[in-house]
Amino acid sequence: MSPIILTLKESPKVPLEAETVTPDAFLTMSNEQIRSSLVYHGKRHCRLDDFFDVTGEYSDHIEMHGDLHRVKLLGKSMSRGQLKVHGSVGMHLGADMRGGRIEVTGDAGDWIGAEMINGFIHVHGNGGGQIGAAYRGSLRGMKNGTIIVGGTAGLEVGMRMRRGTIVVGGKVRDFCGLQMKGGTIILMSGAEIRTGAWMVRGTILSLQPLPLMPTFVPSGHYNPSFIDLYARELRPHGISLPNSPSSGTWSRHCGDTSIPGKGEILIWNPALLT
Amino acid sequence: MTCTLGEVKNRADFIVYWGGNPAECHPRHFTKYTLMQKSKFLPRGRKDRTMILVDIRETKSGGAADIFLQIRPGKDFEVLTILRAILKGQHVNESSIAETGLTLEQMTDFIDRAKKSRFGCMFFGMGLSMTRGKHMNSAALLTLAAELNAFTKFVAMPMRGHGNVTGADVIMRWQTGFPFGITFNRGYPRYNPGEFSTVDVLVRGDTDAALILGADPGATMPQPAIDHLARIPTIVLDPKVTHTSRLARVHITTSVAGISAPGTAYRMDEIPLPLKPALKSPYPTDEEVVRRINEAVARKSHWMPADGPMTVLQH
Amino acid sequence: MIRITGGKIYDPANGINGQVRDLCIDGGKFVSSVIGGRTIDATGMIIFPGGVDVHTHVAGGSINFARAMTPEDHRRTTAFIRTQSRRSGLGGMAPTTFATGYLYAGMGWTTVNEAAVPVLSARHTHEELHDIPILDKSSLVLMANNEILLDLFEAGDFERAKDVVAWYIWAAKSYGVKAVNPGGVAAWKWGKDAKQLTDPIEGYNTITPGTIIGGLAQIIDELGLPHPMHLHCNNLGAPGNVWTTLETMKLLEGRRAHIAHLQYHAYGGDDWDTMRSASAEVAEYFNTHTNMTTDAGAVLFGDTVTITADGPWQHLLYKLTGRKWGNLDVENETGCGIVPYTYRPSNLVNSIQWAVGLELLLLINDPWRIFLSTDHPNGACFWRYPEIIQLLMSFDFRKECMTKLTPIARERITLPDIDREYTLYEIATITSAGPARALGLSQKGSLGIGADADVVIYEEEKDIAKMFSHPRYVLKGGEVVIEDGDIRATPEGREFIVKPSFNPDIENFLKPKFEDVYTMSFENYPVEMERVSHAEIRDCIDT
Repeated sequence: MSPIILTLKESPKVPLEAETVTPDAFLTMSNEQIRSSLVYHGKRHCRLDDFFDVTGEYSDHIEMHGDLHRVKLLGKSMSRGQLKVHGSVGMHLGADMRGGRIEVTGDAGDWIGAEMINGFIHVHGNGGGQIGAAYRGSLRGMKNGTIIVGGTAGLEVGMRMRRGTIVVGGKVRDFCGLQMKGGTIILMSGAEIRTGAWMVRGTILSLQPLPLMPTFVPSGHYNPSFIDLYARELRPHGISLPNSPSSGTWSRHCGDTSIPGKGEILIWNPALLT
Repeated sequence: MTCTLGEVKNRADFIVYWGGNPAECHPRHFTKYTLMQKSKFLPRGRKDRTMILVDIRETKSGGAADIFLQIRPGKDFEVLTILRAILKGQHVNESSIAETGLTLEQMTDFIDRAKKSRFGCMFFGMGLSMTRGKHMNSAALLTLAAELNAFTKFVAMPMRGHGNVTGADVIMRWQTGFPFGITFNRGYPRYNPGEFSTVDVLVRGDTDAALILGADPGATMPQPAIDHLARIPTIVLDPKVTHTSRLARVHITTSVAGISAPGTAYRMDEIPLPLKPALKSPYPTDEEVVRRINEAVARKSHWMPADGPMTVLQH
Repeated sequence: MIRITGGKIYDPANGINGQVRDLCIDGGKFVSSVIGGRTIDATGMIIFPGGVDVHTHVAGGSINFARAMTPEDHRRTTAFIRTQSRRSGLGGMAPTTFATGYLYAGMGWTTVNEAAVPVLSARHTHEELHDIPILDKSSLVLMANNEILLDLFEAGDFERAKDVVAWYIWAAKSYGVKAVNPGGVAAWKWGKDAKQLTDPIEGYNTITPGTIIGGLAQIIDELGLPHPMHLHCNNLGAPGNVWTTLETMKLLEGRRAHIAHLQYHAYGGDDWDTMRSASAEVAEYFNTHTNMTTDAGAVLFGDTVTITADGPWQHLLYKLTGRKWGNLDVENETGCGIVPYTYRPSNLVNSIQWAVGLELLLLINDPWRIFLSTDHPNGACFWRYPEIIQLLMSFDFRKECMTKLTPIARERITLPDIDREYTLYEIATITSAGPARALGLSQKGSLGIGADADVVIYEEEKDIAKMFSHPRYVLKGGEVVIEDGDIRATPEGREFIVKPSFNPDIENFLKPKFEDVYTMSFENYPVEMERVSHAEIRDCIDT
């Protein structure tokens, strides 16, 4: 199946809500149907081709080109196929996603993979806040799947997540893993403050030292074997996790005791080179 | 968990002010509602109440407090979370407690007093809700108050800033379901603070016009937001010239609510108070201006397609 | 002018049971004949008087608190899109005001009674009621935990207590009195409760819940309020509370009373594990004591948000579920609690609750004395009423639903043994004629000459729930508001209020008390008449 290619021709002046852009929808649409599908430019109802040149049809493989930082809700609730964006995207990328793959070469706004159920999202640039999180008032964030952000990320990454994996290459801001209920967050470059606040269960791994809440209690050093499983799974994406006892150990901190929670934060301590 | 101010006046024997300076910002608060009042249940008034002030620096309110807890700036969330752990008899990492500016003894004492009280109340100000951590700081305090109800009666209440913020919040809730951070771009209310809240919309430049009512963002918002207000057509309704009206395209002078315009104001505890105007004003009320704008807009063709559905099932 | 021809009329207030008659409407009322105007051909259709909800929570501080607590529900619910003639809104567990009007009218209900208003925030409630389009409204003011009143009961000063109640009703521009967990909410303000009628009340020496209930019922009868005391009994929701309920009913002999959401007060057993339905005991007593009316407070499985002035119960629910909890105490008067909740058929307690609501509706044999309600939003949202109608009209459907219950639950209920099926005439009684009469609203719940022309016209349909969810036409005050599933007009509704007589000197007594216990000046307290939109003052009656 040859991909459907959307190239931005007219930059939106205010946010463009384009949840129609999913492999599920486009698989059953002719070129004309795709062109005429509804997008919201602010309050105006517009056609997709008011903003994009569209080639291709009947495919669950979508490629987008252009600076889409004002384009929201791309790949929302998608369950199959591929969405590849050459550029940056706005908020809610892959929110409520069920399956398939999303790849973005640039940055993405807040709420990447929010409340997603399954699937794979890779943002090579920076991500916003609330990655894989629960929307306000909702009790649970992502249920499963994997989100990888190459650059930095904002506030409340993985807030209330249930399962699944989030990996962030750059530094992460406050409240990473807030009220987390399960799953794994991997911080390649550490985080600012209040990591793991109010977490109930789940695991946060950090390769860099972290400032910890007083409600996390140290509980030893070890080299758990599950790290090797994650390392194997993430290697194809260019991420390497250390775990050999000769290169260092993980120090374990349990919390958040204010809940009281059974979460854990593991911080990598490289062995001193002698 | 909240209550009306009269409940505090009549019953509260344990009062906490957190990140607020009522002595200077809400001058009648102590005398009218909280500390000084005598009641059937607290016949000795001030003597029957314990007041704890929590702040990052000593303010004039400190003089009224029985206990002043000075915490390090930006440590509210940590302190509140530690208090929750102490309340549940859980461990805390003692080596990192010192960073908060308080000792374990001070925090244990706080919890002991709170548990022993018959009716506790925590007021929190913008020193809590507008500093690093923002809504999570408020959430931490509200959660602590909720959890204290396992031991005694405990409530919490925000001390808002100027203007009738509470009133806007109350009315938005009954008309749209949400207090703020709402978009109507699809013809029905959707909510997402951070995405649709005014300051974020302006900072990102996501709007192409602005109507400002009862606020002066030109004085209070971050510079990128102010710059955007200056770029787009901005309309201000205000009785006086404000920072915002100086950068706006249009300023409409309106009468002052409560002095020359009637209506209802909602107190911080959401109790509605009638505004009975004492003076006549040559200027129209905000309500009248908005109604006339609305009527003018209604004469234009509607922006929603006429053949659209009546309802939509969201997902 | 409108003529509706050929429809089968179900008008219990006038004893008409399915006969084909024409209805004529002029000036918002039914008249004997009209010349000209629109004709609606209702041949083969079913015609009811507009629905009347005797007990719901649609406006004011507590439902508005619930709205703030459930943004996740607003996001997945039905949204009403704004048009040039209609405001936008959201449905769901705690609908917004405009949507409340559209949803009620959309299923044929045209009058609602907001059952819990603290006087202190009555102004707020009226502002919200004004924003509920189409419906006519009334509201009940909360009195049974008012400390000024309790002090007067404690002092035995009945005459003054009566004046105080009358003054409060008029100050709130209210229609009647709601008594919630009498004495228990006052005790909750100290974190305590008062569960039994003879329990002492924290902070008082002589009075008990029993003395408050008896005193208030007498006051309301002597004032001649058109709607009797609207009582939310003590010990709500607790296993074994049937004894409290029966004691309360005995105490009320010789008085008029409306017992609210009876379902929550009809449980046997000693604790959550041994809880069972006690609807048979309650129904047996109720059937032989005609001084009372009640509403079901039925429960349906699914998500909802529970709100009630019963703070202690709500705290218990919060502890049981560990979910979000809001509590709001109002000075001197009352309190309220808010907890989102999901009723599940797999849960023993929920299953019993579901069954008890239906059992009461089926075992209480006089449809003029038990009315359809879910205590919206507590047992279920009001827009799910058609599901309950289907359950009442079809034994087979009930049997099918009961297969979802656990075997233990089926042993604790009597529903499987009840084969009664409601007729359309009885449905029209419990949804319209009965509640209108209990509210003392003679121009409602009737298709007779002179009554308000509130009519709902259904296309006959095998699927009962579908038929009652989607009326073909709804007329409010003679105006077609719903037609073919579309909202055609959104007129503003009226508010019914009463002005019971009181000695004006009572203000001299109240004023210093106010300075003591309230934080609002005495002059600001009463709601001004002009704040109530389209107010209609109803007469008090001789009882």
